[in-house]
Amino acid sequence: MAGKEDKVLLRMKVNGEEAEVAVKPTWTLLRVLREELGFTGTKKGCEQGDCGACTVIMDGKAVNACLVLALQAESKEIETIEGLGTADALHPLQKSFIEHGAVQCGFCTPGMLMSAEALLRENRKPSLEEIKIGISGNLCRCTGYTKIIKAIESVSQKNREALTPFRGQ
Amino acid sequence: MKKRGLGVGCMFYGIGFGFSRQDISAATIEICEDGSVIVRSGEVDYGQGSDTIFCQMVGEELGIPYDSIQLITADTFTTPNAGPTTASRVTYVTGNAMVKAARAVKETMQSVAEDILGEGDLVFMDGEIRSEYPDKRISFRDLAKTCHARGVQIVETAWQDITTKDVDPETGQGDAYATYGWASQLAEVEVDTETGRVEVLRIIAAHDVGKAINPSNVEGQIEGGVLQGMGYALTEEIVQEGGYLKTGSLGDYMMPTSMDTPRIDSHIVEVADPDGPYGAKGVGEPALIPTAPAILNAICDALDIRVTELPANPENIKRLILEKGKEEEAS
Repeated sequence: MAGKEDKVLLRMKVNGEEAEVAVKPTWTLLRVLREELGFTGTKKGCEQGDCGACTVIMDGKAVNACLVLALQAESKEIETIEGLGTADALHPLQKSFIEHGAVQCGFCTPGMLMSAEALLRENRKPSLEEIKIGISGNLCRCTGYTKIIKAIESVSQKNREALTPFRGQ
Repeated sequence: MKKRGLGVGCMFYGIGFGFSRQDISAATIEICEDGSVIVRSGEVDYGQGSDTIFCQMVGEELGIPYDSIQLITADTFTTPNAGPTTASRVTYVTGNAMVKAARAVKETMQSVAEDILGEGDLVFMDGEIRSEYPDKRISFRDLAKTCHARGVQIVETAWQDITTKDVDPETGQGDAYATYGWASQLAEVEVDTETGRVEVLRIIAAHDVGKAINPSNVEGQIEGGVLQGMGYALTEEIVQEGGYLKTGSLGDYMMPTSMDTPRIDSHIVEVADPDGPYGAKGVGEPALIPTAPAILNAICDALDIRVTELPANPENIKRLILEKGKEEEAS
C-alpha cells in the first residue's frame, strides 16, 4: 500500500484534455491544478473552503478545489477558468462581467465565474435570489456583489429571452 | 416580531494626507513615433480603477482613443514616484499629474502642428489635430512622426503637490486637507426581535465626488464600501483572548456575502472641485464611512435602542432588547 509520501498516478480530464500527474495522497486538487499543471487562473485564497476563490467545476458541479483531495478527482472532468473562454473568444458571462463593471481587483473573479457557470448550467434562468445563493460561497471584498449579481442576471435574462417561444407577428 | 426602521448617516472626509504631510505624485507621458502613447506612473491600481481613468484622462486631453494608450504603473525601475494608493487620493493627486503632463506634451505638439498647418486655434480630437478649415488638419500619428523627425521633445513629466499647511497647534483650527468628499447614506433595516438579527433591506447612498470620471467605477466603489460598512456595523469583529487571535479565518471573521447584499441605490453628486482633474475628488474611503451610522440609526428607529458597541450582531442586539425589557419592567 502506498504511504503518504509515495506518489500515485492520477488521471483526469482538465478542460477537455487528458491529464496524467503523479500526486501525493495528501495533495489537494488545487495544488495539482496550480503547481503541477500550471492552471494558475484558479486562485488560492483561504485554503479552508471559506472564500471560494478556488472554485472549479468537477463533473458539472462547482467545488472548492482546496477541499477536494487530488485523488478524489480520479477519472473526473475538471473545468477551470482557462477552459471557460479566451481573450479572443470570451464566454458570455465574462463579457457580461466586463460590461457591468463586475471586476475590481479580480481575485475572486475566476471563482465567481465558475460558480455562476455551474449555476447557469443547472438553471438557465435563475432568479435574483437563486443567483445570490449560487455565488454565496464566493467572497468579494471590492464590489459589494451588486455588479456581479447584475452581470449574471443579465445573462439569465438573455437566456430567458432566448427560451421564450416565438409567438409570430 | 419584525420591526423596521430608517436611519441616516452623514460624513465629510479629507482627501489626501493633509496636516502638512508630504502628498505628491508624478506621471510621465511619452509620445512614440507611431503615435502610440506610453504613460508611466508609480500609482498602483489594486482594483479601484485608477488605470482606467488615467487612460481616459490622457485620451481626453490628447484627443486619441482610450486603447491607444499603454500604461506602465508601479514599477520602481521605470515609473516616477506617485505616492501610495491610500487616503482616497489617487484620482485627485495622480489624476492631476496625468492631466498636467498630457497638457505639457500637447502644448509642444500644438506648436509643431501650427507650424505645419499655418493655422492657429487647433483642436485635438478623434485622433486628429483640426483647424477650422477641413483641408487643414493632420493626424495625431503624422504629427508624432514629424515631432520625432524634427527632434522635438515630446516626453513630459509632471508633478502634483497637494501638501497642505498644518493646523494651528494651539487651537487645532485650519484647513487640514486639500479637498473634502461629502456623503449621506440612508439605511432601511428590519430587526427580528426574537433572534436579534438585523437585515439591511436597502441603502441609498449619495456621494459628492466632484466629477465622476468613470461613473460605473464610482458606483462600484460605493457598492463595495457600503458592504464593507455593513460588515463593520453588523458582523465583522476581531476577537482576541489572552493575546491570541480567535477570528483568524474567514470562517470566524464574518464578512458579508452575496446573501447579505441589499438593494443599493447610488446617487453621484457632482460639485466640481476647482483644483481637481475635471473637478474630480476621491470616493474610496468615503463610500464606507456613513454606512454603519446609518444602520445604527435605523436600528434605533426600529427598536428605540441606541447601539454603542459594534458589531450589532444578533447576540448583542438580543441582549440589548432583553435589557430594555427589564428596565421597562422595573420602572
